[in-house]
Amino acid sequence: MLNKITIDDATVNERVYKLNLGPQHPSTHGVMHFILTLDGEVVISCEPNIGYSHRGHEKMAENRIYEQFLPNPPRMDYLSGLIFNYGYCQAVERLCGIEVPRRAEFIRVITSELNRLASHFIGAMDFVMGLGAYTPFIYGWDDREQILDLLEAVAGSRLPYSYGRFGGVRNDIDQAFCDGTRRFIDRLRKRLKDYHDLVTGNIIFIKRTQNVGVITKETALEFGVTGPTLRGSGIKYDVRKHEPYSIYPEFKFEIPTREEGDCLSRYLVRMAEMEQSLNIIEQALDRLPSGPIRAKVPRFVTPPAGECYFAFESARGAVGFYIVSDGSRIPYRIKVRAPSFSNLYVMTKICPGHFLADVIAIFGSIDVTVPEIDR
Amino acid sequence: MSTPGQKNLLEELKNSLTQAVPEGKIEETDYALTGYQLEVRLDQVGMRSVAQAMKDRRFFLETITALDYLDYFELVYLYSTYYQDFCRVKVRIRISREATPLSIAAIFPVAIWLEREVYDFFGIRFQEHPDLKRIINPDDVDYYPLLKTFGKTKFTEEIDDILC
Repeated sequence: MLNKITIDDATVNERVYKLNLGPQHPSTHGVMHFILTLDGEVVISCEPNIGYSHRGHEKMAENRIYEQFLPNPPRMDYLSGLIFNYGYCQAVERLCGIEVPRRAEFIRVITSELNRLASHFIGAMDFVMGLGAYTPFIYGWDDREQILDLLEAVAGSRLPYSYGRFGGVRNDIDQAFCDGTRRFIDRLRKRLKDYHDLVTGNIIFIKRTQNVGVITKETALEFGVTGPTLRGSGIKYDVRKHEPYSIYPEFKFEIPTREEGDCLSRYLVRMAEMEQSLNIIEQALDRLPSGPIRAKVPRFVTPPAGECYFAFESARGAVGFYIVSDGSRIPYRIKVRAPSFSNLYVMTKICPGHFLADVIAIFGSIDVTVPEIDR
Repeated sequence: MSTPGQKNLLEELKNSLTQAVPEGKIEETDYALTGYQLEVRLDQVGMRSVAQAMKDRRFFLETITALDYLDYFELVYLYSTYYQDFCRVKVRIRISREATPLSIAAIFPVAIWLEREVYDFFGIRFQEHPDLKRIINPDDVDYYPLLKTFGKTKFTEEIDDILC
């Protein structure tokens, strides 16, 4: 529908202007700044300006021992911090050759899937709020709060968890956590239907999102898009299946995909993924083994000289920790491959030709966290 | 964990990489230890031919980064794929400190941002980059934060005494 609007070259100079969207703007999910070139209400170019929440995590890593860096990864992507926390642990475990006890692996899977759910609630419901629907957002906040309560009970904090340890996790989970999680699964299965009634079938929502911000397969490949954003474009790529890590191969779950590649399909993929996460948690709780929760590792690890890359699936896509060790107690270099970085850059390609209001829809549907881009 | 499909893919990939960069050293690595299955080592030229070969084989560019070894830099390119059996390829390119490597932005657009990030943190200038400026740090800073000569704390020198 938007392709009908063409930009008349003769009048461009009189009508074209630049608009700063952000850095302080309620629908930019953090400190995000877009420099938009507009013709009336139509976007000609969109340039994200990043770096407002840069804290230098990669530099910090070069000035502290491996254990001291444990609290840092959750602060990169604060919405799926636990997954980042485990990802860093798993990268160091691969570098040092540490075996993780099975119970710890199960605890990691259960808690990281809970964290993924919490993150998807923000991803999907913040997106809907950006389009003007406030009620679903509060519903999502309610469900997310239940997850945060569960995770707080085991991990001790609500957002920047530092629960993973090299070779396992910090605390064991108890029966109260397992019962609470099962109750939560039952509750959410009922509530997910409410979300679909409230949002998915809504005609205003569909009109705002269908055929808006289409990412084709070719664009996705060129820009290295990953995560639900990619699966909304019909490519079945999930690190949990493609490059199985931890104990994910033992669980049965699907990778939901949609062919359209627009904002609506990205939202639907995210909603479908929530159901799959519930399935994984349920299977893991059923088969939770007993045993130790942490391998015997020295108090301070000293990895051998060498390097390794560990990829894992966060709520936003394929994250990678690339660690280079020179054999000392301090990492030589830690590079984080942030999925939001690549996912955000694709906006420069897909935004032109859309209305200004669609930029908010596209940005919401891609679901980036700004601190992760800036690190 | 390698399947027959992966073995074939590895062989094909090695062949096309050998064609693209005959001077490169291509090695198979143990995925369980390193997280990638092929490692390509190169001197300065050849990042474009590798990038084109990877794109022809439907790989996507995961990330670009650099390593500062005080008297030289190493650029690290990581490629992975959506489609075939999983495989990750790491390309390491050794360059001198003054070198201006070629940009691969024309092949993978995401490299525009990734190379800007490398420039921002290491000061490595990419040739033929469409818009090489700082990306995360403010435009007016005069340092490159991830150089080993920048911002080293005393803690790192005394670490063995502290933790002994």
